[in-house]
Amino acid sequence: MIEFQGVRKSYGTKLAVRSLDLTIPAGELFALLGPNGAGKTTSIKMLVGLLRPSKGALRVCGHDVVAAPQEASRRLGYVPDEPYLYDKLSGREFLQFIIDMYGFDRQAAAQSMEREIERFELAGFVDDLSETYSHGMKQRLVFAAALLHDPEVLVIDEPMVGLDPRSARLVKDTLRQRAAAGTAIFMSTHTLTVAEEIASRIGIVDHGRLLCVGTLEELRREQALHDSTLEELFLQITAAAEANGQAPLDETTA
Amino acid sequence: MSRAIDANEEARAFWAMRWRMVRNVVTQALREARLRVSVVTGLSLIFWVGLFLLFIDGFQFVNSLLEQPKIQQQTYGAIFDIFFASLLVMLIFSTGIILYGSLYRSREAQLLLTLPVRSARVFLHKFQEATLLSSWGFVLLGTPILAAYGIVEVAPWYYFLLILPFVVAFVHIPAATGAILCMALVRWLPRVRLHLLVLAGGMAIGGSIYLAWTVFRGAEVASLNAAWFQEMIARLQFSRSRLLPSWWLSRGLMEAAQGQWSESILFLVLLISNALFGQLVAWWLSARIYRVGYTALRSQRRARRLPGVSWADVLLGHSLGVLSRPMRLLIIKDIRLFRRDPIQWSQYAIFFGLLALYFLNIRRFTYDVGYAEWINVVAFLNFAVIGLILSIFTSRFVYPLISLEGQRFWILGRLPLARDAILWSKFVFAVGATLVPSALLIVLSDTMLRIDGAIVVCHLLSCVVLCTGLAGISVGLGAKMPNLREESPSKITSGFGGTLNQVLSTLYIIVATVIPAVHCHFYVASLREPGEPATWLVVQGTAVTLVIGLAVTVLPLRIGQRAFRLLEF
Repeated sequence: MIEFQGVRKSYGTKLAVRSLDLTIPAGELFALLGPNGAGKTTSIKMLVGLLRPSKGALRVCGHDVVAAPQEASRRLGYVPDEPYLYDKLSGREFLQFIIDMYGFDRQAAAQSMEREIERFELAGFVDDLSETYSHGMKQRLVFAAALLHDPEVLVIDEPMVGLDPRSARLVKDTLRQRAAAGTAIFMSTHTLTVAEEIASRIGIVDHGRLLCVGTLEELRREQALHDSTLEELFLQITAAAEANGQAPLDETTA
Repeated sequence: MSRAIDANEEARAFWAMRWRMVRNVVTQALREARLRVSVVTGLSLIFWVGLFLLFIDGFQFVNSLLEQPKIQQQTYGAIFDIFFASLLVMLIFSTGIILYGSLYRSREAQLLLTLPVRSARVFLHKFQEATLLSSWGFVLLGTPILAAYGIVEVAPWYYFLLILPFVVAFVHIPAATGAILCMALVRWLPRVRLHLLVLAGGMAIGGSIYLAWTVFRGAEVASLNAAWFQEMIARLQFSRSRLLPSWWLSRGLMEAAQGQWSESILFLVLLISNALFGQLVAWWLSARIYRVGYTALRSQRRARRLPGVSWADVLLGHSLGVLSRPMRLLIIKDIRLFRRDPIQWSQYAIFFGLLALYFLNIRRFTYDVGYAEWINVVAFLNFAVIGLILSIFTSRFVYPLISLEGQRFWILGRLPLARDAILWSKFVFAVGATLVPSALLIVLSDTMLRIDGAIVVCHLLSCVVLCTGLAGISVGLGAKMPNLREESPSKITSGFGGTLNQVLSTLYIIVATVIPAVHCHFYVASLREPGEPATWLVVQGTAVTLVIGLAVTVLPLRIGQRAFRLLEF
């Protein structure tokens, strides 16, 4: 479903992502963890077509995101960390605009909208202008917009920002259900407890390098930390990488 | 199940979204901001009608001077050619700059590029918006001129019908050119885009100064007579190139006004075909280079700021030595934010730069020395224009300052700092930022007009009063009616408080201009009478202005101060 093949991305001479090889099959909920500036958001922006990789290839359901961005986008739902909504559109009008892009007929579009409005409990405010929404309301609306077209791939940057406990539970349950239904989910987060709770596989990235990938159990075995939490694992892995000199390198020295 | 939609469905979806947005904005404005809508509509109408009447008078004046119809038409042709050619250049720049922001820097573009939408559709959507944004001023300014011309020339009915299609077709040509230049610059020269923009802007300003200089050079020899007009027409030859769309526009409209409808339609078709072709090229190019350019621009490494305090801040800190340290720091913080926001200082620089350019050329028109009262009127009109530009600045940038502090009050509110100090720092910042350039412009204008010394002093004192008054109104109202939820200064300005601020500022400018102007007028008249000049009139006018200015400064500040002390964040 999602394939990163030798993906590399640089900003001028600074390497943000170096030779990333990763495949996320259907039905997997993959969590990408890493410190600030590790390359998580850059990886996500390449996946959704906002940045082009400097080298390598990125595919969504077999479609190259550079060569066929529309085909790739059609199969993908995206929840950014700072969602943008049109202030002067209501939530329902925003959802209508999004679903119009996916070519649904009128009846199917209405059904999808009602399904997501109900799922994310938007009915109380969906007809108000979105300029009046709180951050959490906006986040729920953007989740609804990302799932409207029943995407095969879901990409989420920091899913829990601004959500109250009830909404956070709702989102976690939804992600689990989607993964069980066959959606490939790529999620970047700093909330390690969420990754620990719902991710089927975890990757830890630092200074643009994927340091390790596996299930929580596999990571524990690999690091010989059998009863550790994900937080302990994360700190151990990133500290070890720092100690081994995997510091940021300029492209000229990489 | 989703499917790929065709280009027409895509267009319909975008238009439907835009229509919903417009409907919501209009409904909301009529429901929540009737006063603002009425004031804006009323002022626009007054502005349009004022311009229309002014140009009716202007065209009749030219007709009275130039009796031969052929010379009249040549003169009007030259006026239209230079007017539309200037607009052509301005529209290329403004559309390019607006598109740069909306295509490459906006969060909306980021959203749209993650949807299964063609890049060319995103471009078209933003292009249409940019064209509208950059050309509405042209419509507001151009239509009264063209309507007045039609009335004076007793043009046939279809001339008035053709104005709109001509203008709409014309604005699409510079808009498409600006769009193509913008996309090409980002795609192929992303690293040097800023330098190129600065260079192009500098060349445009330099070119304008050179043109103004050459056109009016040596024109002091005579008054506004037929020979003067003929000389001007000869000097404006460059704007009459047959390849310029501005020439097609002026020629087409003038043909229509003369009853030559078939010639006029030919020019209209020429404009429409070129507008469509330009848009087609821009659209074709966007499908190929927009997304690539977008990612290339986003892939650049940001320049690192050097640590340390800049020399400008150190200098400013010393020059504000009389103020308390917290106030100094707050003012330096505001100036730092202003300096680092090109949108703010570039508008400021353009407005004052254009005024300086105009003042530098005042003496080139030689209807001056003989008419002392006329010079006095021109000097006070200049004063009023400076005031109006200052009021735009204070409404747009000073009024929202307190509201914007609301977002940062978690830090400001916890500092060992009296709230009054925050308010006073805004006031001092506003007075300083407005007084320095406006006083320089007043001196420049008065020097070029060779104004009497007593009146220069009156102008400068009135200028101080004007700046403190406008700052007092904006800071006081900003504190009395803050909008603490809004992060965008333009949205804060467009609210009720912002509109009230603009209206009160305009009224104050009228009062602060008319009172000293009338007194100075009678003083100037007394200079021609035998006996002592009535200098007391200037003193009286200045004193009355000072008293009014003091009241206008202190009252809103006191109201704002009281409200700000009780404000809960």
